Amino acid sequence: MTYEEIKDPTQREQVKQLEDYIMKNCLWQFHSREWDRYRQNENILGQTASLLCNEPVDTSTPELKCYWIDALSMTENFRKRYPWINELGTEQIKNLIGTLKARIDYVTITGSLNEELTVKLY
Amino acid sequence: MPYFEFESSKCIPERKQHAVMKAEGEDLTHALPQGYLQTIPGTISERGCAYCGAKHVIGTPMKDAIHMSHGPVGCTYDTWHTKRYISDNDNYQLKYTHATDMKESHIVFGGDKLLKKNILEAFDAHPDTKRMTLYQTCSSALIGDDMEAVAREVMKERPDVDIFVCNAPGFAGPSQSGGHHKINIAWINEKVGTVEPKITSDYVINYVGDYNIQGDNEVMVDYFKRMGIQVLSTFTGNGSYDDLRSMHRAHLNVLECARSAEYICNELRVRYGIPRLDIDGFGFEMLSDALLKIGRFFGIEDRAQAIIDEETARWKPELDWYKKRLEGVKVALWPGGSKLWHWASIIHEEMGVEVVSLYTKFGHQGDMEKGIARAEVGTLAIDDPNELEGIEAMDLLQPDVIFTGVRPGEVAKKKNVQYLNAHAYHNGPYKGYEGWVRFARDIYNAHYSPIHQLATIDISKDKIQTEKGCISRKSISDAKLSPEESNNPNERPYTGDYDCVSKLREKDYSEYFKKNEKPEVA
Repeated sequence: MTYEEIKDPTQREQVKQLEDYIMKNCLWQFHSREWDRYRQNENILGQTASLLCNEPVDTSTPELKCYWIDALSMTENFRKRYPWINELGTEQIKNLIGTLKARIDYVTITGSLNEELTVKLY
Repeated sequence: MPYFEFESSKCIPERKQHAVMKAEGEDLTHALPQGYLQTIPGTISERGCAYCGAKHVIGTPMKDAIHMSHGPVGCTYDTWHTKRYISDNDNYQLKYTHATDMKESHIVFGGDKLLKKNILEAFDAHPDTKRMTLYQTCSSALIGDDMEAVAREVMKERPDVDIFVCNAPGFAGPSQSGGHHKINIAWINEKVGTVEPKITSDYVINYVGDYNIQGDNEVMVDYFKRMGIQVLSTFTGNGSYDDLRSMHRAHLNVLECARSAEYICNELRVRYGIPRLDIDGFGFEMLSDALLKIGRFFGIEDRAQAIIDEETARWKPELDWYKKRLEGVKVALWPGGSKLWHWASIIHEEMGVEVVSLYTKFGHQGDMEKGIARAEVGTLAIDDPNELEGIEAMDLLQPDVIFTGVRPGEVAKKKNVQYLNAHAYHNGPYKGYEGWVRFARDIYNAHYSPIHQLATIDISKDKIQTEKGCISRKSISDAKLSPEESNNPNERPYTGDYDCVSKLREKDYSEYFKKNEKPEVA
């Protein structure tokens, strides 16, 4: 999703801020293969949305727990750095993180110029 | 985000796809340098070969094995003795390097017998060492010497020895990165799962992609042990051969240099279900975040937080002293692969320096994605630069200090630009809280060195300022500060020891592991 496709200017600015945080501080979004990036983006951002909405998160397996520790760190930093996020309601958060995920999917997968993403083996 | 064309490379048009200037309002989908491609004919780049990437980056930091190259003696010697991959067993792996010393006759008649003779001789010369890593080189690979067969034969004759064979001759990839890949996959295919470890903690990790440069690995392992975590293996700095055979029993893979070691983490994830956590061990904030994440994974975040608080209180006043004096200093991050993204944003935030350029000798496009994402607008990102491009970039960007390897570093010196060794460090370790301060100190010492400033004077034409008295680094650096800023009692320059690693080896961690013990249930 390009920024032009985010019609609401407030949400566009919010997504920009969150994307900037992820790009500058995180590594989970840049696994080396397309299938890994889809999995990482979906799970970590999905859990982030739940945490921001104070909903329970499934951490019953090592894999889920590993997503959760990245999601929890990001949630705390979002709340600290961008206090406006604490004012949003559940639906607004889900919508915002949904748009953020579409944006991260675009930058790291669908719009990515990285030619190694589709290599079949590690 | 426009691609950047060097004047010096206009005669090599493909090069334009290998450099990008980060632009306002654009992102990674607009431009991304090519990477991990064969060096273009006509450009002389600064890369190593696949053999070097397999052996000299990943294989040989293993501390308790004989490391032998099957090939001419130069392959095994060149570059190895510039490394600073230290270990806690008196640097055994640094002191000895072995080669079969192939000659023309072996190329003509085969080198198998020579190889076997050398293996046996090496084991006889080191009777206490029962592990060996063997490396193919271009010459032995081209004639098809069957190293696996020779290794099997020796292991049959001497059941107490174990040999790992790595088939990554110099031509097996565009750069050393091809060798990283091959040895990762060979190790998991051949060796992981062949030793069952003794598990001594409820919290077990592999620490992957750290090569113990001047003690980086030992600093990080100290934190993990203080959390009561068993570090099953370290891949491969200060790592033990047999520990690395038991990687399959860890609960979590903690990955630093994804460029050199993500392959084995990915495979451990697929084959054994061990999750992969990518971390940055550099910089206070990123390191704290990493420790907290690891603590949370095991439910011991209080232990992580205690370390974060203690270390930050001890070292932050020293980092702040340097930050104030490094504000606005222009630096170029020109390392091999991963440090360009490990450092790109945190060095700016925590030391105040301006990163004007990133480059990678052997990185892939994924490394450039991470690096460019973290860099500020205006940063020039270059893949696999040649020497002329490096010189042009220095003329254009006017960096004060460059973090790079010895070869481009020497070129920088001739341009009167200071350089710090990004591969082996100057006065490392650079990881950990104290290490980050040591890095800041090295940058400070480089930039404000009076000798360096003297060296920029051309005595054939420049005026020698004889009226000036003695100058020191501090007199130069503090000229821009107010007296209050200069003498802030809450800040101080580095006060650690010359050697901050050796003492960790004497440390008793039993009290930290006692916390793991659960009360017996009647």
